[in-house]
Amino acid sequence: MKRTLIYLPGLLLILTLAWACKKDDPGSERPDFDRAAMLENYAVNVIRPAYEELLAATNTLSGRWTEFVAAPDTDKLAALQDQWLSTAIAWQAANGFNFGPAGEEGLRKGLIEEIGTFPVNTDKIENFISAGDATLNNFDRDSRGILAIEYLLFGHSGNTQDVLQALEDDNRRIYLAALIDHLYGEVDRVATAWETYQTEFIANDGTDVGSGTSQLYNEFVRSYEAAKNFKVGLPAGKRAGQTQAEPQLVEAYYSGRSLDLLQAHLASIDRIYYGKGLNGGDGAGFHEYLQAVEGGPTLIASTEAQWAAVEQALAKVPATPAFSELAAQDDPAVDALHTEMQKQIRFFKSDMSSLLGIAITFNSGDGD
Amino acid sequence: MTNERLHTITDWLSKPVSIAPLVTFRLVFGAVMVFSTLRFWYLGWIEEHFIDTQVTFKYFGFEWIQLLLPEAMYLLHALMLLGAIGVWLGLFYRLSAGVFFLTFTYAWLIDLTYYLNHYYFVSIAAFLLILVPAHRRFSVDCWRKPELRQLQTARWTILIFKWQIGIVYIYAGLAKINYDWLIAALPLKIWVPANDNLPLVGPLFRWEYTPWIFSWIGMLYDATIVFWLSWRPTRVLAYLSVIIFHGLTGMMFQIGVFPIVMIGATWIFFSEKFHERLLRFLEQGWPVKISVQKAASPRRIASWTFYLLVAHFALQLLFPWRYLLYPGNMFWTEEGYRFGWRVMLMEKAGTATFYVRDGAGGREGIVFNEDFLSDHQEKQMAMQPDMILQYAHFLEAHYKENGMRDPRVRAEVYVTLNARPSQLLVDPNLDLTTVEDSWAPKKWILPYDKSVDDEQ
Repeated sequence: MKRTLIYLPGLLLILTLAWACKKDDPGSERPDFDRAAMLENYAVNVIRPAYEELLAATNTLSGRWTEFVAAPDTDKLAALQDQWLSTAIAWQAANGFNFGPAGEEGLRKGLIEEIGTFPVNTDKIENFISAGDATLNNFDRDSRGILAIEYLLFGHSGNTQDVLQALEDDNRRIYLAALIDHLYGEVDRVATAWETYQTEFIANDGTDVGSGTSQLYNEFVRSYEAAKNFKVGLPAGKRAGQTQAEPQLVEAYYSGRSLDLLQAHLASIDRIYYGKGLNGGDGAGFHEYLQAVEGGPTLIASTEAQWAAVEQALAKVPATPAFSELAAQDDPAVDALHTEMQKQIRFFKSDMSSLLGIAITFNSGDGD
Repeated sequence: MTNERLHTITDWLSKPVSIAPLVTFRLVFGAVMVFSTLRFWYLGWIEEHFIDTQVTFKYFGFEWIQLLLPEAMYLLHALMLLGAIGVWLGLFYRLSAGVFFLTFTYAWLIDLTYYLNHYYFVSIAAFLLILVPAHRRFSVDCWRKPELRQLQTARWTILIFKWQIGIVYIYAGLAKINYDWLIAALPLKIWVPANDNLPLVGPLFRWEYTPWIFSWIGMLYDATIVFWLSWRPTRVLAYLSVIIFHGLTGMMFQIGVFPIVMIGATWIFFSEKFHERLLRFLEQGWPVKISVQKAASPRRIASWTFYLLVAHFALQLLFPWRYLLYPGNMFWTEEGYRFGWRVMLMEKAGTATFYVRDGAGGREGIVFNEDFLSDHQEKQMAMQPDMILQYAHFLEAHYKENGMRDPRVRAEVYVTLNARPSQLLVDPNLDLTTVEDSWAPKKWILPYDKSVDDEQ
């Protein structure tokens, strides 16, 4: 009874204070936010269409390959190369969701490592080919996937005749066919698994580690950091300890289409942030979630201002010469892009997770 | 203090009281520690914290505590488990308590990343347990040596635990008396809505006033709970609120065994009668009967014990206030933040980018933190100045080993505190390899810019 007597006035005091504070804080009129609806939007409009698109592109790639093998010529090779680019671009929209069916499990690495590893190791690839080993039954993930296919379709020199000639070799054909099959198989497995995983993903609507929001968010940040570090920073020699640019480290070195892929990758980051899909569907995303939390509107403004700077810097990178050559020449446009991308990190990484209260690691925090 | 005064005090402290509350404390604490050690092992944290580790962040003054070989880390935890079991069963009790205290403390002192106030509390409780005869009833030791059995103990042996728990709670409550916590309801305005999917209470968490209510209740709870627990008329209700409070925070936050530790430790506030009845119940149910001819009487507090405890509690009372000696906002600089029972007090996160160059004219490059740190290490380092400095020194040594002649390391660290826009924590142009850590105020920490708040 005594406790109640003491706590009651306390409670009234709190409510009064809360009300008083709220009145002079115009930013506090925030909508309620439904995380499950956000997750559903991501699953239905963003993630699954991205995998379906990639699967369709891979399927077409497989068809182009069959056509090529039936009667190899320059045109069919060109069609094959074009389709490879479409596939690699489709992959950029799907490379940021390496959890659930696309996550690590047992000996299997995340999808991004299984099909998106770069740079590939051409020595390993050539060794497997000359040994006639197309089983892919090994942990050399840098000898398969989209970028290994690229190497076989474009070659070191970029000379069409050289590629055509090399592809007369049966072992090489068998290996390339195995790579395309493997790619299709991996994407198909993930796309199919999402049909059932979607329910689990949406139902897990907390903010703890392992929740849909936490997994999606962590992979989103990882994907952005990977674009900055491995597609721009490392080739341009921006990593501590590098004494010069290392242009051969770019993604898509052999086709010279690194910039196209980087553009697609950053466009995908943009869509994930807004919760937009490839098919135009646009529901609640991190952007809408931020609108609903303390400090969110301010962070949105900073995030979007910096993102505009990133996009501007990206637009200033010339299409020719290839991105790898620009990196090799310490081109100021690459430098500026790297700087702007670096400035973006904190808004996506620590600021956003802090405001949304998303748990990042499993370890215990300080109790109360 | 005159000898006579001192004598009166030690007399009072040595007055015999029932040993039962102390024995229950040993049973509960031991059991929770057995559980927590097994849990830590089971979750694979020995491996994660102590084996796949390239960098360990040191506690100032404890740099000599080193990561051991993998086998030794497992051995350390095996000893810890044996110590906890020994405390629990009252088997080779003092030795067990000593082993547990040393192994447990050693383990958490290895890496500052994993600092938790409740580890600190467990270490203190284990240390205090070494000093008291908590094994002199309902224990394997009593069964081995019936002459050990005591029905009474000196009053101080129970009081020290109450005082220690009192300090933990009251200081945690005092720490919450600040503008952000009480007036702005931060960080709870972030944490409460993030937990709105909890069963039963979830919908309540969507109410806009809930963060304020929780903030004030949390502060009042921490600051006063030991008084309600100490006072008989309110005890049962107070203990219920202990369960609800810790249960709820345990559901909301990823805080491991802390709620169980406190729910168990606060039993000591229950009456002698309660503990007597509990122990008699346990003793009757026990298959092995301990023959009792006569019980030994408690000893007077030894003078070395007395002075040790005076020193301990003086330190406990004073050390948390050291932050007053530092300029600047403690939440921002974290100077004097740790070891002060500041639990779940702020939402803070940072992004730390380290730039390394060889000599003044060398090519500057960015460090990929994940090459050296675990996710948790990076997260903790990125907002705590002393860890940032240690990491800079680690990088200096690393790049020297890899052929740089004169590595210079600077860090661009943006930190957000309680949902405010992030700002620079340390001088981004300063070569951190030229700075050494010390007790002195860290002048290289940039002041917390309050004006950023006003823009909100």
